[in-house]
Amino acid sequence: MKHGEKQIVVTLSLPVVAPLLDIVKFAADRMQGTTAAPAALPDIDPEMKEAWTDELIAAQNADVRALLALFDDEFFSTGRISFRAANAEPMIRACAAVRLHLRSGPLAVLGDDVLETGEIALDRLEDPVRKAFMTYLFLATIQELIIQHLDETILEG
Amino acid sequence: MHPGESDPLGSPEQHGETALATEGLWHVVVLNDPVNLMSYVVLIFKKVLGFDEQTARRHMLEVHEQGRSVVWTGVREKAEAYAHTLQQWHLTAVLERDEAR
Repeated sequence: MKHGEKQIVVTLSLPVVAPLLDIVKFAADRMQGTTAAPAALPDIDPEMKEAWTDELIAAQNADVRALLALFDDEFFSTGRISFRAANAEPMIRACAAVRLHLRSGPLAVLGDDVLETGEIALDRLEDPVRKAFMTYLFLATIQELIIQHLDETILEG
Repeated sequence: MHPGESDPLGSPEQHGETALATEGLWHVVVLNDPVNLMSYVVLIFKKVLGFDEQTARRHMLEVHEQGRSVVWTGVREKAEAYAHTLQQWHLTAVLERDEAR
């Protein structure tokens, strides 16, 4: 880390967050060959379309790998993760990608209104959906933290 | 692009009449999704399109309330570049030909 560089250190509850990482890892595996958001363009030749999509998928996979790397040995011993200029951008992009993937996967049963408002009784959900929804909310919290504290860093980057 | 908004890639007028004559103008349109946070969309608009805070918020609200917002208009090549970058940030960005021109 550069001297004087802004950094956010967050201490997370291991028993709460560790199970959510399984959801992120599972999503990461499922997303490897596809874009999280639609990536269609009109009037584009097939070769360019393939290159266009491949580039998006490669960038998405790199971002998601960076997100997973955040939860390293230090996290599993202290619960701490840190965000700084070098990882802020890939982190918020990866969170967006995984959240979008969860929408089309395990959270498809909830409907878009619930995903937009976040309002639902967690105890009424079946376990896999509840875990996926908690992961969805957790990733949003990471995004909000980064945007709140590192937005200038991202804009300057 | 709407008047008064900055364009980090340069204005469409700078990119040659030939391109305009052969391809016309294209809109970069961002479509609503229920997943991406409002603050995230504002940040992306500022970073990718060079919008100021007020303009970014206006376009974000347009997307949120009307389902879509035209965030840039210009030659096809640059419209593609913007759409691709917005898609890298996982926004649903599409291109539409400017039928009015």
